[in-house]
Amino acid sequence: MLTLPERIAFVLLVVVCGSIAARGFYRIYRAITRGEGEIPLHLFLRRVIPVTVEILLQKPILKARPVVSLFHAFVFFAFTFYTLVNIFDLAEGFVGFSTLHRGGIWGVYNLIADLLSVAALIGMAALLIRRFGLKPFRFNDTVLLNPHVPGGIPRDSLIVGTFILLHVGSRWFGQAIRIAASGQPDWWQPTASVVSFALMGVSEQALTVGEHVTWWLALGLILLFLPYFPYSKHIHLIVAPLNWILRDPERPLGQLEPPTNGGEGAARLQELRWYQLMDAYACIMCLRCQDVCPAHNTAQPLSPAALEINKRYFLNEHLADFAAGTMEPPPLLHMAISKEAVWACTTCAACVDICPTGNRPMLDIIDIRRHLVFSGDEMDPNLQEALESLARQGNSFNKPARRRARWTKELDFKIKDARKEPVEYLWFVGDFASYDPRMQENTKTVARLFHMAGLDFGLLYEGERNSGNDVRRVGEEGLFEMLVEHNMKEFSKAQFKAIVTTDPHTYNALKNEYKAYGLDVPVYHYTEVLADLIESGRLPLNDKLHDVVATYHDPCYLGRYNRVTEAPRRILRALGIDFREMPRHGVNTFCCGAGGGRIWMDTATGERPSEQRIKEAAGLGDDLRYFVVACPKDMAMYSDAVKTAGYEGRIEVIDIAQLVARAVGLNGEGASASTPQAADVARSPAG
Amino acid sequence: MDIVVALKQVPDLVEELEINDEGTGLDPDVLSFVLNEFDDHALEEALLLKEETGATVTVIGVDTTGELDQALYTALAKGADRAIKIVGDFEEGERLPIPVMARLLAGALQQMTYDLVFTGVQAADDLDGQVAPMLAALLNVPHVGVVTSVARVNGVVKVQKEFWGGITADLEVDLPAVLGIQAARQAPRYAPVSRVRQAMKEATIEEIEVEDLPEAPVAPLRRMFIPEVSGRAEILEGDEATIAEKIVDILRERGLIT
Repeated sequence: MLTLPERIAFVLLVVVCGSIAARGFYRIYRAITRGEGEIPLHLFLRRVIPVTVEILLQKPILKARPVVSLFHAFVFFAFTFYTLVNIFDLAEGFVGFSTLHRGGIWGVYNLIADLLSVAALIGMAALLIRRFGLKPFRFNDTVLLNPHVPGGIPRDSLIVGTFILLHVGSRWFGQAIRIAASGQPDWWQPTASVVSFALMGVSEQALTVGEHVTWWLALGLILLFLPYFPYSKHIHLIVAPLNWILRDPERPLGQLEPPTNGGEGAARLQELRWYQLMDAYACIMCLRCQDVCPAHNTAQPLSPAALEINKRYFLNEHLADFAAGTMEPPPLLHMAISKEAVWACTTCAACVDICPTGNRPMLDIIDIRRHLVFSGDEMDPNLQEALESLARQGNSFNKPARRRARWTKELDFKIKDARKEPVEYLWFVGDFASYDPRMQENTKTVARLFHMAGLDFGLLYEGERNSGNDVRRVGEEGLFEMLVEHNMKEFSKAQFKAIVTTDPHTYNALKNEYKAYGLDVPVYHYTEVLADLIESGRLPLNDKLHDVVATYHDPCYLGRYNRVTEAPRRILRALGIDFREMPRHGVNTFCCGAGGGRIWMDTATGERPSEQRIKEAAGLGDDLRYFVVACPKDMAMYSDAVKTAGYEGRIEVIDIAQLVARAVGLNGEGASASTPQAADVARSPAG
Repeated sequence: MDIVVALKQVPDLVEELEINDEGTGLDPDVLSFVLNEFDDHALEEALLLKEETGATVTVIGVDTTGELDQALYTALAKGADRAIKIVGDFEEGERLPIPVMARLLAGALQQMTYDLVFTGVQAADDLDGQVAPMLAALLNVPHVGVVTSVARVNGVVKVQKEFWGGITADLEVDLPAVLGIQAARQAPRYAPVSRVRQAMKEATIEEIEVEDLPEAPVAPLRRMFIPEVSGRAEILEGDEATIAEKIVDILRERGLIT
């Protein structure tokens, strides 16, 4: 089909544009390898098939925005199939191979290509309308942004969108022309055939010109686009799958890697790990992370998307020099993210969980915090006080370590000391549940429930220290290690088969972080243990709570990090309450704002994430009475939020253990105790 | 410029203090020690001065707790250049009388070169803030107390000193001098644990051993005790007339009026 000059031009374009693009890709590769660590290429063979299946099912993107994801799926499937289409079209241009009017497998091929072309055009048009009309780009005003971002992103979107429309549209219209030239419709290509009727009267010569022009617009355009491709958002179609494939499958989300840069944390781009540099190129700038970020949602200067986009823009602007290692990039705090934003992160991991391209901006933030802490940068005075207390006393309350288990004195039974006698469950209570007077009542209730069920459990008493989960996420790695070492030594003195924790943060640390330090026992959250005790009949629910209307808040470190969402719901179902889900629940829960050490910092002014959350709960109906929590930090955060958001007297924040206690008759409401243990407990003065 | 900062640990008030059986001091069994807050400010001011002028900072202390290393390593982690501890036959946790402490420090300082000596203006067990003035007298150098800022301008050391009533004075000090620091210009910095551990591994603490405690005029301690409650306030309630009546009754009861 192609003339000789066209053939020569095409081959020349392949060589020229191909080499420019190859240079771009190579620079990006070198830039990424300036990051720390080795790229685990061995993962490729193992992970390529499962990741491909996930992507073919569009799983990473279908986690949110269903309509947009559908349009994306149209474009995605068309593009995937177009790999084949482009090859056959190339063959048509060069050797005259044609599938027109052919049936059988070629007919099916033509049908799929025809339908997907229309799907891609609809999808792309819809996405462009959304981007340029319905939902333009927006960051909080205080977010640090590369000055070229506000103009650059729409331009990039427009270029890529136009390219796709032209590429797919030309191919589709080209088929219509070919059908028209053949004089009869090819019903394996129904939409192109319909269009072809409109072209039936056009001269043969004009149709031939049209055939050439559309061929070039479909295939030549790819070549013209190639040099721009590495720098465009389109590169996500290569980097995003790589991001998923090359991610260490053994490392849970709740287990951080030790700091880079010889333990000093990341001040500059090359002090991040290679995959954190790759994140910049995987980012598709969809801003889903920003939508779910509790900090951005409360007008803080943090946008996880902006962090990745800033890294990307900086790299694109200095790619040759950075890749060659001939430049020292400016500090990340000057070009990627502001210090206020770094400290605004609650490490809720919503951004990580939702990212369709597998990015983990939260890890950058923690690495930058590590640098700030190590370099002695001035920190929030309350945070400093908490860390100093943790270093001295092992708790953030600046209370003596030996007073940790003082709450046990108010029980009318003695809890075993796991260091003195073997127990089945070692209960790791945590700071807030041990020291905060508001939380101690719950802690005692949990103890009474365990005792009533005849659970064989014990404590480390004054030997327990803060687990270090949030200390690590604040960036104080040395203190984290110190706490781990202490707790590991205490564990070695005790005999137990499993650990149960009150605090989800502690749960995460012991389950995921301590693994790297040799702790190898099952770790449970108290909701998991309580659910089992209820279902096995060891905690008989004598009074169902049918008149209770409640919702449940999933703690980030339980629901999102560790996927424990069913246990608390099993309990609530068993209690027989009128249970209502908030729109954001389960793994998609919304952070209370306390994580990542935020609970120790002075909150900025403005609405808090916890207040937003209470309003979300209030939206479930005027009769909603209880906001059920399963985390001592949530108890603190939401008890405050109910007051500040003006719902005092209407919504009550309650620990799930309190509801269980009520149903088993521990709180003296109604029930008669049915087991001897229960009778004992019911007599307890504080019960 | 060489700055020496004298550090001291005091009982951590996080723990409830108890008096020993003899009633002569605190019960060492329940004591834990923490760096005197004012000394922490003295160190911070010295470190700020180091950053501004390139001065060297040496920290020194008398190890009466057996735990002084912790404070010295922390100071090194924060940026001090050298650490010295004075050791001797002290009973662990024993409170050395200030005149003795000052003589021990002065003895060590006389063997060193220094331009400025900083120490906290007071401590939980030295509320009258005697260390700095005594040290200055023993070394026969000028002293300024209640200092809130130290700067070196054109080779001259200028300090700000607080007086009562919100009055501040700018002073020029002839070197060498001893300064009692009330507060550093910024809050004492945080010492990252990994840096403290690094200091523990890499740095050495020099030791000065003293055979006998120096002679000093010391007021003997007879008894240490927690103040006893001597009486309670009584709140009179009611309207003005009732309260006035009650007052009159009380005065009459006590025979003050008839």
